[in-house]
Parts: sequence; C-alpha cells; structure tokens
Amino acid sequence: MPPKVNVVSLVSIGRHPQSGRSRRAEQDGRAVELGLKLSKKSLTVVHAGDAQEPVLRQYAGMGLDSLTVLPQPADGDALPILVDFLKSSKAQVVLTGVRAESGESSGMLPYLLAEQLGWPLVPRVAEILTIKQGAAEVLLALPRGQRRSVIVSLPFIATVDNAAAEARQTAFGPGLRADFKVLDVNSVKDEAMATWQISAAKPRPKRLKVVKAKTAADRMKAATAKPVGGGGKVMKNETAAEKAQAIFDLLLEEKVVR
Amino acid sequence: MILDWLPPTLIGFLLVLAGIGAIRRMNLWRAGQAEKVNILAGLLAMPKRYLHDLHHVVERDKYMSRTHVATGGGFVLAMVLVLFVHLFGVKSEILAWALLAALVLMFCGALFVYKRRMNPPSRLSKGPWMRLPKSLLTFSITFFVLTLPAAGILPEGTGGWVLTLVLSVLILMSLSEMLFGMTWGGPMKHAFAGALHLAFHRRPERFGGGRSTGLKPAVLGEASHGVAKPTDFKWNQLLGFDACVQCGRCEAVCPAFAAGQPLNPKKLIQDMVVGFAGGTDAKYAGSPYPGVDVGNAKGAPDQIITNGLISSDTLWSCTTCRACVEECPMMIEHVDAIVDMRRFLTLEKGETPNKGAQVLENIIATDNPNGYSPASRTHWAADQNLNLMKDVKQADVLFWVSDGAFDMRSQRILRAFVKLMKAANIDVAILGDEELDSGDVARRLGDDAAFQSLAKRNLATLSKYSFKTIVTTDPHAFHCLKNEYGDFGSDALKGVEVLHHTTFLNRLVKEGRLQLDTFKGGKVTYHDPCYLGRYNGEYDAPRELLASLGIDVAEMERSGYRSRCCGGGGGAPITDIPGERRIADMRMEDVVSTGAEMVAVGCQQCTAMLEGVVEPRPVVKDIAEILVSQLSEEVNS
Amino acid sequence: MSEFPSTEATSSGLLRRDPRTEWIARNRLHPLHSSVVSAGQGEVRGPTGLLRKNPHVIGFIGPNGIKRIDRANLSAAGLNSKKRAGEAKEVQLPLHVVDNPDGYIMVVADMIGGRLTSHDKDILGLAHQLVAENKAADKGNIAVVLVCFGESKETQFDLAGVDRLLHITGQEFEGFAPEARLSALMQIEAQYKPENWLFPDSIHGGTDLACRLASRLGERPATQAWQVTATSTVSRGASGSCDISRETPRILMLMEECANAIEDTRHQVLDLEFDVNSVDTGDNYRLIDQGQIEVDSNAVPLAEAEFILSAGNGIHNWDQFHAVAAALRATEGASRVAVDDGFMPRSRQVGASGTWVTARVYLAVGISGAIQHMQGIGQCDKVVAINTDAGCDMVKRADLAVIEDSEAVLEALMKLAQEHYSSKEQEKSDAA
Repeated sequence: MPPKVNVVSLVSIGRHPQSGRSRRAEQDGRAVELGLKLSKKSLTVVHAGDAQEPVLRQYAGMGLDSLTVLPQPADGDALPILVDFLKSSKAQVVLTGVRAESGESSGMLPYLLAEQLGWPLVPRVAEILTIKQGAAEVLLALPRGQRRSVIVSLPFIATVDNAAAEARQTAFGPGLRADFKVLDVNSVKDEAMATWQISAAKPRPKRLKVVKAKTAADRMKAATAKPVGGGGKVMKNETAAEKAQAIFDLLLEEKVVR
Repeated sequence: MILDWLPPTLIGFLLVLAGIGAIRRMNLWRAGQAEKVNILAGLLAMPKRYLHDLHHVVERDKYMSRTHVATGGGFVLAMVLVLFVHLFGVKSEILAWALLAALVLMFCGALFVYKRRMNPPSRLSKGPWMRLPKSLLTFSITFFVLTLPAAGILPEGTGGWVLTLVLSVLILMSLSEMLFGMTWGGPMKHAFAGALHLAFHRRPERFGGGRSTGLKPAVLGEASHGVAKPTDFKWNQLLGFDACVQCGRCEAVCPAFAAGQPLNPKKLIQDMVVGFAGGTDAKYAGSPYPGVDVGNAKGAPDQIITNGLISSDTLWSCTTCRACVEECPMMIEHVDAIVDMRRFLTLEKGETPNKGAQVLENIIATDNPNGYSPASRTHWAADQNLNLMKDVKQADVLFWVSDGAFDMRSQRILRAFVKLMKAANIDVAILGDEELDSGDVARRLGDDAAFQSLAKRNLATLSKYSFKTIVTTDPHAFHCLKNEYGDFGSDALKGVEVLHHTTFLNRLVKEGRLQLDTFKGGKVTYHDPCYLGRYNGEYDAPRELLASLGIDVAEMERSGYRSRCCGGGGGAPITDIPGERRIADMRMEDVVSTGAEMVAVGCQQCTAMLEGVVEPRPVVKDIAEILVSQLSEEVNS
Repeated sequence: MSEFPSTEATSSGLLRRDPRTEWIARNRLHPLHSSVVSAGQGEVRGPTGLLRKNPHVIGFIGPNGIKRIDRANLSAAGLNSKKRAGEAKEVQLPLHVVDNPDGYIMVVADMIGGRLTSHDKDILGLAHQLVAENKAADKGNIAVVLVCFGESKETQFDLAGVDRLLHITGQEFEGFAPEARLSALMQIEAQYKPENWLFPDSIHGGTDLACRLASRLGERPATQAWQVTATSTVSRGASGSCDISRETPRILMLMEECANAIEDTRHQVLDLEFDVNSVDTGDNYRLIDQGQIEVDSNAVPLAEAEFILSAGNGIHNWDQFHAVAAALRATEGASRVAVDDGFMPRSRQVGASGTWVTARVYLAVGISGAIQHMQGIGQCDKVVAINTDAGCDMVKRADLAVIEDSEAVLEALMKLAQEHYSSKEQEKSDAA
C-alpha cells in the first residue's frame, strides 16, 4: 500500500472471560492484525505496562520482530507517556481495541489520546480499505453486521471492533525470540483510581416482569395463568402453502422480513 | 583364457563403486541432527531385529514373507559366497556347491517376486521396482552359470571367451542393480539402509516385543522448533526414510488416504527421501497423494519442506492412528515425522489450519480445548458424590476424568463408569477442577510448548496426592499419562499403574466384584480405539468384558491391530482437511457390514465421531455404558 | 363523547348495571329523575347565563353506525353506571411539572430509528431518580432534558419522563456525525452547565459521543455504570469482571436496566431554547460520512446474523435452498452433516463445534438437531423447524415446527417472499 504509512498498534493485557487468565486481548489482537495488513513488518506495536508480562510474547508471536514497551506500574496512567511516545514516533495511524479487557476498561484512552494529539478518532473500525493522499477510507462496524463507510484524514486514531479480521495465530518460537525494546519513561500515578473500591462483579439483578393489573380479576389471572411456552406450535396436516404462510407470518412478526 | 580376469574385476569394481555410494549415502544421513545411538549394540542386535521383529511384521503377508526369505536370504548368502569364490578365487567345491544352492534358492524366490510383479496391486510402486525381479533372476542365473565350473560340473573354460563376455555383461547388469543400486538409490537401497535403520532405530524399545509409542518431547527455546528442513530431522530418522521398500502397506491402511485426503504415507516417506537427497519426485512410481499430481514436488536438504516439497494439508490430514507404523515392515516412524513437521508449522509459523489456532489458544487460556470455564470442569459430577483428591489426599484409585467432563455425550460415559466403580465399592477420587487437559490435542497439533506446560502442571498436581492406580475412560489421556508424561522428570507417576477403564473393569469382573446380567440385545461388534489398541496394545480387555456379558463379538474385517481409525485422532476433526469421504462414515460402513446392531467403543472421541454418522446406523455405546445397563439389581441395592 | 351505549364493559370485561338508576331515569315523575338524567352531562350555561343544551350529546350512535335518540333515557342511566368502570380505564397520569428549574440533567439518547429505545427510557428513569435525590437533599429543582439529534418519530416523550427537550436537527447532525454532535453538546454545556450528562453505554453511538465529550471536557466519566445514586456510582470494569465504586462523576455511561423507566407520571416536554445555528459547524471536520453500505445478507458474519436460514441433511435441492435464502435475505447456516458432505463451507457450520449464533429467528430446514447443534443455537429467540420427522429434537425445541418435505415448503416460502418484496418495491415506486 504505497506510500508507506507509519502504523502503531497499542496493545494491552487481555483477560479470558471464562478463566480470568491473562491473554492476548481480542480487540487489541485485531488491532495488530490490521496493522500488519497495513504496514507489514514496519508495524510498531506498543505496550504500556509490565515488560515481564508473558502475554506480550503472544502478541510478538504474530510475527513481530520487536515490541516496544513503555514500562509502567499497575497503577500508572498510560496516557501521558503514550502521548509523548506518539508525538515522537511520527505515527500516522494508531490502532487500539475499543475497550481493554483489564483495568477500568473504560475505552477512554483512544479518545484522550486523540484529544491531546488533536487527531480525529474513528470508532469501531471493521476494516481500513485504502490510505492515500493523506486520507483513509474506513469501514465502521455497526450492529448485526452492517457497515458504514467513512473518510478520515491522517493522522488518526482508530479503535478496532470485534468485526475486524481475526488476529492471526500466535506462534511460540517467534514470540519467544522477539526483541523487546523497553524505553525509559517516567510513570505517572493514576491518583483518581486510588480512591476507588474495586470488588468482584456482583451479579446484576434480573428485571422482574411487574404485573400492572388494575383489577382483582386481572391480578388473579396474572397469578394463576400458566407461563407461555413449553413446546411450540407443530403443524402437521395443513397444506405446504399454509405451513409456509405460517412461517412467513412469523418472519414478518419478528421483523426479520421487512 | 584371455578374459578370466573380467568377472572378478567387474565384481571388484562394482564393490568399490558400492562402497563409494555407501559413504555418500551415509553423508546424506549425517546431514541430519545428532542423536545418540549405541552403534555397537545396535549393529550386534541388528540380525536378531531383522530375523525376528521385522520378519514378524512381514509374516502378516505369508506369500511375501516366504518370497522375501528365499530371495533375500539367497542373495545375501550368494553374495558372500560370490566374494569368496569369484573375487578372492577360493578354490573349494563345497563353497561352490553352497553358492549354487543359494542361487537356486534365490532364483525360486525371484520367480515369485516376478509372478507378483505380473499384476501388482495398486499399493506397490512401479517404475524401477518392476525391473527388480528381472535383475534378481539375471543375477541368480548368471552366477549359477559362472559357478558351474568352480563346482566341477562343467570343465573350466567351457564356452570360451564368448560365454565369459556374455556373463560379464550380465554380471554388470545384475550387479549394478544389486550392489551399485544398493547404495546409489536403486530399489535395493532398502537392504542397505534397512539393515542400518534396524541397527540404529530411534525407538529400540520396539524390538523384542516391546512398545514405544509416545512422542519425543521437543526441545523448547532454541533458534527454531520442529522440523522445517529435511536436515532438521535426526540422522537416524533420515536413515529410516531411506529404508522404505515402497510396499505400500501403509497406504493400504491409511484412513486419510482412503478418505481421499491428500495424504499417502508411502509418498510422504519418499518425499522425505527426495528432500534430503535433493531433486524432484518425478521418478516416484506409486500412488500419489489423492488429488495431487506427481512431479511438481522439489526438495533439497536445506529447503523448507512445506515450500514446494509437500503441502501442509498433507501433514494435517494425518489422524496419528499409527496404522502405517504398525503395518510398516521396515518399522519406519511416519507419525513421529509428521508431528515433527507439524511442530514447525504451529510453533514457528503459526499456521495450524481451521479451528486449530482457536483450540490451541483455548488450551493455553483455559486448559481445555473448547474454552470452557475451568471452574465448570466438575459440574458433571454435581450429583455423583465423588471424593475430591483435594479433600481426601489419598485414594486407591484416581479417576482421570479428561475433557469429556465438558461434553454432554461423554458425561454419560463418565457417569456409567462411576456407577460401576460404586457398585464394586472402589475407593475412588477425582482431581476435580485441579485436573487439566492432558495435552493430547495440543501435542498432536504440534504445540509441544502447550503440551509440556500442561504435562508439568498436571504432574505437579498429581505429585501432591497418593494413589496406586489412575484410571481413565479416555484412551488419549491414558496414552499421555502412561507413555508421554514420563519424559518430564517427575516422580508423580512412579509406581502408579495407569489403566484404561476397560482394563480396570475387566479386572473387577474377573475378581467377581461386579455382578452382571447376560446381554440380550442383538449383534454387537467392537471398534478398537487407536490410542488403546495400537498405542497401548490393549485388545483383549474390552473383548473379555463383552464376552463376560455373553456377547460374542462380531469382529469387523479390520479390527485389533488393523483397526481402522474413527477419524477423531491427532486433531484431525479440528484441522478438518477436506477429502472425498469422511473417515467416520467408512468406519461405520465397516460396522454395518458385520450386521451388528450396536458397536461397542472404549473412547469418547470414537463415540463422538461414530455417532456423528447420519442415522440410521447401529447404536454406538461405550463399554462402560453397556456394562452399567447389565448391572445386576441386587448389587445395586 | 356522544356515545351512550346501554351496556358498558369495564376494563375487566364485567358489565355493571345499576337497575335503580335505570328505573328512575325511565320514570319522569320520579323526584330524582332530573338529577339522574343530568348527572351524566352536567348543566352547561352559556355566557349570558342561559341554560344550554348540547345537541350532540343527545342520542348515541348505535351499533350500525346510525344515530339513535333514546327517549326512554335508558342510556343516561347506562352512562351513570359506566362512570365507575371508566375511572380505571382512562387514567390521566399526574403531570410532573418543573417550573424555573435550578439545573438540568442532560440525557443524550440513541434514538434508534427516531424512537426512544428501552435503554434510553431506563436512563431517563435514572435521571429522575437523581432529580428526586437532589430534591430530597434540598439541592434545588432539576429538570431532565432529553437531547436528541436528527429526525424524531417519538410521540411519547411525555410518558418517558422528558421535562425538557433539546431536539437538534439539521443536515450536519444526521448519520455519522460525531464531530458536529460534539460541537452541539459543547454548546449546550456552555449554555446550560448541566449537573450531569447521562449517555447510554451502547454500540449505537452513545458511548462514542460520551467519550468524546468527556475527553473534550477533560472529565473522567464512569463507563458501564449500573448502580448510580447522586453520590456514588458502581460500574463494571475489566471486561465486566469487577465492580468499581466511586463518587458519581458528572458524565456517566450507563448500562441497560440501570434503573426502571418512568411509568407513573407525565412530563411537560417543553422545548428548551437552543440555537442550532450558533453551533460551530465548520469545514474542519475530519470525519466524512459516506453513508451505510449495502451488505449482502450472506456476507454478514454468522455469529452476528439476525435471521439465519440453516440447512441440514434433509435438503436435497441446494440451488433452491440458496435461492430461498437470497429471496428471504437470510444469512445461510448449515448443520455439521451438510458441511461434511461438502454442500456448505465449514465457515457456515452452526453448533458447538462451529459458530455459536445469536439470531432472532433461526429457520432450520431438514436439521434434526444433534446436541452440539442445539447448543450452538441456544441464544436464538425464535426457532422455526421444517422437518419430516415430528419426533426430532429440533421440532421439540422449535417455536413453530412444520412437518413436511422441505422442498415443498421452501418453494411456497420462496413465492411468499418474492410477492412480499415485489409489492414493497411497488409501494416504493408508487410513493416516489
């Protein structure tokens, strides 16, 4: 994709939803994948955090020769150091996931970076189609597989949606051998976070269906009526056309056929 | 006589050429990686390995075994005597007569070889191999005639120089094949490489009735992992490839080949030879990989194998069922080679096809291939009242549940087995959520890093508790625990008996601890799981168990060590290489052809694969499920 | 207004008659006659003090649509009896009035398709909870303002709890216009200095806009908030695995069901003063919306698809199947067997070993329903089965099952779909 674009992918430590174990974050992995597609080997992958974290080897195993680490304590604020880094790196496209899988996972980081760098931000990108003449054509992911096309001027920050191309397999060997460039940066403590109380997620109460019956008879009915369901309707003896009509009515009712 | 010097000179000349060829060939093998082998002991053991172990395998085809004894034995004897009689000129009528006898033997053998080559089955390679019987016949006749004077049957000088000249030409022709070809890549190469391969085999435990099926651990943390180039194989693996006789027995039993997937074990081994010797596969004259044309593969010792020599789909088609290894008369280790090459694809290239990447990622992040919550591993046993090792610390029997715990179908097997153990009052415990995937799938998919990590963590857990026996219903886990966990320097399994549940149940039945009613259902056949049968040699216990229910097993044509794979091993359902048929469907056809109404299985993976065949088909049940339905009520209460 | 049916059904469907009133109404000589008759209408006097009779009230429209005049005055009694029942039916919800508010809480709605989503309504409900808390703490009178962009089709803002409405329309705010919308929000911020900004934490643009506003204002918002009071907020963190409790920030992105929607009050829905033209809309926007692009229903990833037509072993006519999928604009799925047999690519496989789908409607044709397949469709709302075997698992699971050969039903479906879409086309071209 000429001319050469300087792409930076920001990665964080993910969290497996079932085991809670560290992993390559789903969206960040896609950000690296998209970055590799755009700029092949010249992609810069940056992590702000612990350089010893073994999960970084999983990112490196996607075929990165090196990975840049801006060392940070767990309670550090990644924003200022990333702003400094991006300013000095002459990045043109910065890719991240929409939300981190660990920490606050607020999804604010890309917005704050964009604000401080004065760059535009494209949210929930599914694909970057072209980059030419200082602008990129980007496809945004909308719900249910829909897409929107947007043109954005360089440099910009994009958050990568789950609809983007899946991250390639991570290979053990290259990951093990990749070179980690650990930069010397000052870390800034995230003061606000220290005042928070963090606990394991409580299950959210399910919203109950409140019966708004105005009369005694209605309330009686609501209390004694059998729950709907328990085996659907089965059509056996009707004609094929009638059966098809029944199906089609259901499709219309559910608004999947419009 | 003017030309008397000619035959000995020719013999000597070809011997020298053969010597040079041998050194060149050895250098090709030596390009492989170092592997410690006891050279002297190997050479000393070689004749016995040849005469006993190899012959044992060849003996499965009686025709060929006798033919080979006559031809091969006759040739070796004749060749030695030829040296004495014709090269060194030892004047002894006894030797000459012996030589004549050897040549007659060889001639008879060669006749049968010739007969077989008249209309060869498709599994045999053609090409130069079609020439071999003629060369053998020529050799025996030529030297027979040449020896007649030495034996005193014909006077010296019979036929004059014309005959000598004719014989010399024939000597040149036949000895070129037999000596020159032996070390320069002709069909007779198998004798030379084969003998050395038997001497320096990578798994010497296989000889003398032993069994060695566990994969060798990969060394992690080096500049590259797995086998990328032919020279990344161990030298004795390269030697092993060279020993191939292209008899195609592997091809005949390979389930992937039969299913039309692009794998043919024989071609694979030949391609390995092309790889380390350099060149193309244009001269290959056997069946191709299904759907792949012969002649386009190029290889060189330092060229990446999957770049032009073989396609990675070939490697991923293998179900690691070991049928080819079991069947190979040269005891070549196909599965080792395939997994070695897969290791490169997975660990270095990150190119495990289809669901492979996701499965490996799940295994790394959740310790099970489907990414279920590790905390839900024991949910199946919520109503089973099983002791957890964490609580009891020790038990007679540790029940290794395996990943069947997450699968609803497999859970039925697990419950059945638990019920049987309870009926027999076994002191049993499970590891519960502490258990991890055995690593079988990760290892067969080439991710030895994930396997080793799982193995070490499992061993660490096991070492915390004391038990005498581990039982599992999963032959894959059984194989890992029994044959592969030993490589990681842990004492956790020292003195522990690792058993498959059929073996264990068979003991209980024999000890009278399970009261079973006679089975009154219809005809039953039994499918041998590869990892129970060929990998671990357990063919009898399941059959004895069925017999104890009064079932007379209607055996399939391919059963026991020749059992056909269900298609579920080696991560094949995950890599899912397209073929023309499904392996499970073919296996179900085998079942149907016995007329059985039920097929008994001893493996949850086989159960899943066979049940995946579209109905109507015979019922698929694990042996534990069959037993539990025959459990006598009185014991229950 | 003029309907005096002789019998009246109450909301519970019960007929209430008062025989005594009916009797008095019939008897013009009864001392209470006049009061009973006039009770329904009441006396109306004109501006000069003259008693006025409303001619429209006399009589009623009969069941045939013909006006009837009831000399016997039976209906008047009916009206009387109706009164009690009518109370339950026509509840006029109390109006929540906010005059001269001391502050505002801004709720920026997603308004998908121009209507409030249930998510939006929950957030309006939460806004009123905050208002009530502020009131209790004597922090003044706060109005809930709904900020919405673009075209609105919503007619029930009053019932959703909107005290004030800021409806910002204009070409530049339509479609994907985060920069223009942010400028508008900044303008609102400057003009009204709201107490709180509430956004739905949604993929429909709420989160995006909220993050933009928060970073522009330099305020730290709470995202994925689900338990919010005026002082403290509990929000999810680390991909939903932990709860973070902190002081309630000014900008909040709220999860669905964070509060109950308004149900018992009506609200004023007064337009708030806002000059759209003063919004700094410039040429300096760097995101240019090219509009939504047409996505082939079959290109939609299976896991995201809304409507899946899935094929199994029972399909014999594959061309027909593909044609029906195209006609219904459904995404194609398949059972394992259909994939194994090579009729469908592996990526189309639905089930535990294939893709786990979330379709609203899953139409399974000729799939008997292996356990792995049923696991994969566990999250589907409605399952429809077409199968010849009435006893198979898919039929048991289905909300609607049709026992028939697939080919015949698919053919009929195909016809229906084609008719439906061609009549749609017709309508469109007529309208144009």
